[in-house]
Amino acid sequence: MEWYWACALLFGSVTGLMLLGLPVAIAFLGVNVVAAMVFMGGAKGIAQVLNNGFGGITSFALVPIPMFLLMGDLFFTTGLAQRFFNATDKLLGNVPARLSYVTLLGGTAYAGPAGSSMGACALLGSLMVPEMLKRGYNKYLSIGPIMGVGGLAVIIPPSALTVLLATLGRTDVGDLLIAGIIPGLILALMYAVLIYVWVKIDPSAAPAYKAEKISRAEKLRLWAFDITPMVAIIIGSVAIMLVGWATPTEAAALGVVMVLALALCYRTLTWQAMRKALESSLRVTVMSFLIIFASSTFAQVLAFTGASSGLISYALTWDIGPMGMLFVMIGIILFLGCFMDQLSMMLLTAPIFFPLAKTLGFDLTWFGIIMLLALEIGYTTPPFGLLLFVMKGVAPPHITMKDIYLSAMPFIGCVILLILIIIFFPPIVTWLPKVSH
Amino acid sequence: MLKFYDKLVNALAWIAGFLLFAMMVSITIDVVLRNLGTQSSSHLFTFTEYALLLVPLLGSPWLVRDKGHVFVEIVTTNLPHGLRQGLARVTCLMCAFICAVLAFYGGMISWDDFHQASKDVRSFDMPRWMLTIFFPISFGMMTLEFLRFFFLRENYLESAVEQILHDTAP
Repeated sequence: MEWYWACALLFGSVTGLMLLGLPVAIAFLGVNVVAAMVFMGGAKGIAQVLNNGFGGITSFALVPIPMFLLMGDLFFTTGLAQRFFNATDKLLGNVPARLSYVTLLGGTAYAGPAGSSMGACALLGSLMVPEMLKRGYNKYLSIGPIMGVGGLAVIIPPSALTVLLATLGRTDVGDLLIAGIIPGLILALMYAVLIYVWVKIDPSAAPAYKAEKISRAEKLRLWAFDITPMVAIIIGSVAIMLVGWATPTEAAALGVVMVLALALCYRTLTWQAMRKALESSLRVTVMSFLIIFASSTFAQVLAFTGASSGLISYALTWDIGPMGMLFVMIGIILFLGCFMDQLSMMLLTAPIFFPLAKTLGFDLTWFGIIMLLALEIGYTTPPFGLLLFVMKGVAPPHITMKDIYLSAMPFIGCVILLILIIIFFPPIVTWLPKVSH
Repeated sequence: MLKFYDKLVNALAWIAGFLLFAMMVSITIDVVLRNLGTQSSSHLFTFTEYALLLVPLLGSPWLVRDKGHVFVEIVTTNLPHGLRQGLARVTCLMCAFICAVLAFYGGMISWDDFHQASKDVRSFDMPRWMLTIFFPISFGMMTLEFLRFFFLRENYLESAVEQILHDTAP
């Protein structure tokens, strides 16, 4: 069979099954079964599907995913995240639009390890939007920062999605995690500047209100007990990786231990909190691992049928240069983001995009960060980005879909700007991993 | 019988949760021992790798019942109610079929591994069938779960958005 027929059959059937509503993992497994029958020698091929899954899933590099998830969930269920949130709120005092900053800080701390901008959006949307609207905040300024949190969470370590993409793209997990730090900080700064300028131009967007006055001693107490330990855990788990004391896997596991120890110190580590955190992280782990299980064979079938090499050779004949090809890849991700979640997009595109990026001479870490940001934009882009619908679900009823689109736009603009900065100044991404080596 | 089966599905999920926690403990012990200058056991490493296989296999039937497997809902949410229900039943049957095929071939692999006394060679020689036996168990139970949705006429295609709103409700 010609590579383009194989390509059409494989991508067409997996997309078709997904659009019919089959769970993503089962859709991939179904296509693998059919492809095994057609291309890999019938029954033997199906056994190969399972054996490939066995090999693909028992990889130590995947361990950070459940560990980061558990870390994020424990932060939330033990109430540590809430403490951090409240303390930040109090310490910011009378800073204009402080609730928007609090949303950004708290959301990033939760969404990164939890691997779910969707979860963070639902949580912050139900918690912060009504509060901000009550305080007279402009609806766009209330919703926008929450839509922007995902872009930060996906690249600032510890991020479960980063580990997953590195595994799928067969690139170094530690490098990709570390590479996200500087762009993440730049994006955070861009968001902060955006909010600052917004309120400067239109002070009515975030009316000032008298914050509860707190004493210096209280401020010190908040810094010492509610901010520093939480931040130390997040920075600590990244730092031990950065200086080479632990691998990403070990750093992730130690991160969980540190959260447990902290919760124990605050006497908030209950059985119920543990059970909830385990259940929540188990849900995402099982779901994503079954997808990885299925994807191991999908990538192999693509290679075996010549579909991936055919597609890459064909793409290389386009006379648009490496940068043109990069923009085409970003465009494809943005298009897929209209109807797919990040995991499905990663699985469909990583087996083709990473080898293509390698052939084009791109640094895979640099490419991985661009891809992660594009995935997040796809997730937030009107009219169908899934995050928009989550926000619609939690926001007060008078908030329309158009309001949500408009709120998201400036923050999506920041992420697009960051992608352009990264494209034209690659050291922003590549410098830190090199230094850490 | 059904009650026992339900308890079994939950018990397997609990074991998966326990393995998740045990992974964290084993890695921490490994790091601590290494930094104390003691040689840690390579079995800890192998245990973690096997746990990575067992967690999704043991937890999947529970997640099917909990409607936790992610799916693309752009088409299904825009269908009229009746058509959506019909599509949900068809997809359940398709999922049950795919899982049944994998359960069958998984069983064959496990049987072959048992007869040929195949070993998975890592830090120790693990009889491979003790791992591959979880293929037929997991995919078989997933088949049953999908069939249950089909026969009970329950809609598997509950919106992921609705689901996440439900999960994060205070």
